[in-house]
Amino acid sequence: MTTTEVPTAAPAKGVAPPSRPARRRREGAAWVFLSPWVLGACVLTLLPMAVSLYLSFTDYDLFNPPSWVGLRNYTQMFTEDPRYWRSVVATLTYVVIAVPLQLALALAVALALKSMRRGRAFYRSAFYAPSLLGASMSIALVWRAVFNDGGTVDNLFGTGGWVNKPGWALFAVALLTVWQFGAPMVIFLAGLLQIPGELYEAAAVDGASRWRQFAHITIPMLSPVLFFNLVLQTIQAFQVFTPAFAVSAGKGGPADSTLFYTLYLYDRGFVASHMGYASAMAWVLLIVIGAVTAVLFRTSRSWVFYASEGDR
Amino acid sequence: MPGNRTRRSCVTAVVLALCAVLSGCSGGTESSSTGGKVVLRYTWWGNPDRAARTEEAIGLFEKKYPGIEVQTSFSGYDTYKQKLATQAAGGDAPDVMQLDYRMIDQYASGGVLHDLGRQKSVLRTDEIDAGLLATGALDGRQYAVPQGRGTETVVYDAERWKATGVPLPSGAWTWSEWADAMRALAEKTGEPAATDPGQSEDAFEVWLRGQGKDLYTEDGELGFTADDLTRWWTFTDRLRRDGVVSPAEQTTQLDGTVENTPLGRGKAVVDINWDAPASGFVALVGEGVTLAPMPSGEDGTPGQYFKPSMFMGIAANSEHPREAARLIDFMLNDPGAARVLGATRSMPVNETLREEIAPDLKDFDKVIHDYHATVEGELNDPPQAPPSGDSALQTTFQRDYDQVSYERMSPREAAENYITEAKAELRS
Repeated sequence: MTTTEVPTAAPAKGVAPPSRPARRRREGAAWVFLSPWVLGACVLTLLPMAVSLYLSFTDYDLFNPPSWVGLRNYTQMFTEDPRYWRSVVATLTYVVIAVPLQLALALAVALALKSMRRGRAFYRSAFYAPSLLGASMSIALVWRAVFNDGGTVDNLFGTGGWVNKPGWALFAVALLTVWQFGAPMVIFLAGLLQIPGELYEAAAVDGASRWRQFAHITIPMLSPVLFFNLVLQTIQAFQVFTPAFAVSAGKGGPADSTLFYTLYLYDRGFVASHMGYASAMAWVLLIVIGAVTAVLFRTSRSWVFYASEGDR
Repeated sequence: MPGNRTRRSCVTAVVLALCAVLSGCSGGTESSSTGGKVVLRYTWWGNPDRAARTEEAIGLFEKKYPGIEVQTSFSGYDTYKQKLATQAAGGDAPDVMQLDYRMIDQYASGGVLHDLGRQKSVLRTDEIDAGLLATGALDGRQYAVPQGRGTETVVYDAERWKATGVPLPSGAWTWSEWADAMRALAEKTGEPAATDPGQSEDAFEVWLRGQGKDLYTEDGELGFTADDLTRWWTFTDRLRRDGVVSPAEQTTQLDGTVENTPLGRGKAVVDINWDAPASGFVALVGEGVTLAPMPSGEDGTPGQYFKPSMFMGIAANSEHPREAARLIDFMLNDPGAARVLGATRSMPVNETLREEIAPDLKDFDKVIHDYHATVEGELNDPPQAPPSGDSALQTTFQRDYDQVSYERMSPREAAENYITEAKAELRS
């Protein structure tokens, strides 16, 4: 089997590996320069995580000292709280709708941009812009105004306002995030440009249709990038907060239809002042995201193709 | 030696970086004086009308005390409530804060509030009705001072109402008379006449009191049953189904601002609200905004009551409690401030000032004053301060009613849901 030459960053030539003491000195310097961030990671990430883990076993209302309740937060969550399960269902529905839609759209646009001869840079920026803006509250608020009853979409199509209909609100929120497909699109585009043109030429000579070229060259060659985007977007989708918060004015409404996990977590923590319960929810989310990612990695073995494996 | 220089600059870099990290952490406690002035943070909730008048009063205060600078910020009630709770928990509560009746218990017992008894020399409270003043006290300590005395009201656009030919409300009415009037209005205008009151815990409380019951018992437990709530929600749900009150799509948008009420959005003629924030409707629907008493029980028992509308308190960890107390004193007891503030936080608590400014009240302030006069002496005593958990239950109440108005649950199912949630909330 011939190995395909995937262009990679050329190794810096002419730089001899440093001698041992020199390397140690350099490592020392590296640690010195890293120390603010190492310190930051400990103080600002690990410590709060430990505190949050502790709080998840307590009842803590922000005002009085936390009191130890053991596993009560967890048992209450799983057995006594119907709204918790509503938030789980809303989140899973959202992940299943938004992630594939977003990736499909990102890939489609990346393909279109790839074959573009002129103005690629412009369109790439133009499509990327919503991702930058979209993370902000303001776009989400505009979205709410547009889809509200009496809003633009209502006036044009007489929809009566999607964000106020329990059956539609989730879709409106999903649409808002799907529209921010810029980040995966840029990554897809970079991946597409890495696929050597000879492959397509060879396939074309053999008489492969565009579709077959896509299915048998583009997708396998792109699979590591596809996998990367899938994992990243899934993790992000599980944590969706800003659009739902803005669109439902922080309530997860109407009728709990956009009560995403993080939104309910926020509600428990900051509206109802049950920080212990909110912490417990956060830990369950962490574990679930970890598990889902692990499953994705497991399945990836059967469909992700790394060019370097061909060398073996 | 170059190596040496590298090391020295490394050390410098680390020191600088550490300084950056540490000073970042201590941001909350940095001195709050600029140019020798004491800077006070004062936060409150309300509408733009209240904002303009508060700023004007603060201007007078800063003129009188040139050494003090006041930084204000305000937002809608829902947002304010969440932000303040977070700030308080982080030990970063603003020096002077506006508080609701429902917050006093939680904030005072949580050690967030300064004991105002220590500022007696600058903060005068002798011209406030003793009973009213006591609503800001807990275990014998004064933690907050009421700033106004307000009551709930049926607020309506009199011009649009008149245009329909339906007789205007005249004095006391019962809930069924209110419902009949709304029904007639809706028939004439062809659209819902009022905000669906089913979502409002406050409206429910008035309805409940009209039947001689209360939201909470004296021990801070629920004072009503699932049956009571089922009857209330059945009543409002019927009105909604008949198109008499706002549809679910509009009701769910309510967030404590007048801008998002159906009346404020020009989609209804009537709203149920507190008297002071109702001033915000003038800018939205015009000068015709008028107030009518809340409906009473069918036997005429009034459910409405005078409530300390909002309080001012000082953060326990404020660095300038004395100056903060001065500001509160000024807002409550200064004649100039009273004139500017008018009834924007409902009628002033200082009785002398209240008499003094009454003849000069203009526009909506006068409407509020006259409204108070019509119900004065007619109402029953206010309930005791709600227990800590109530703050979250207000939101739960609205959310559970969403399930009714979107027809996802029957009034009974939603009521039973609420009772379960409320019991859990009050227990913890």
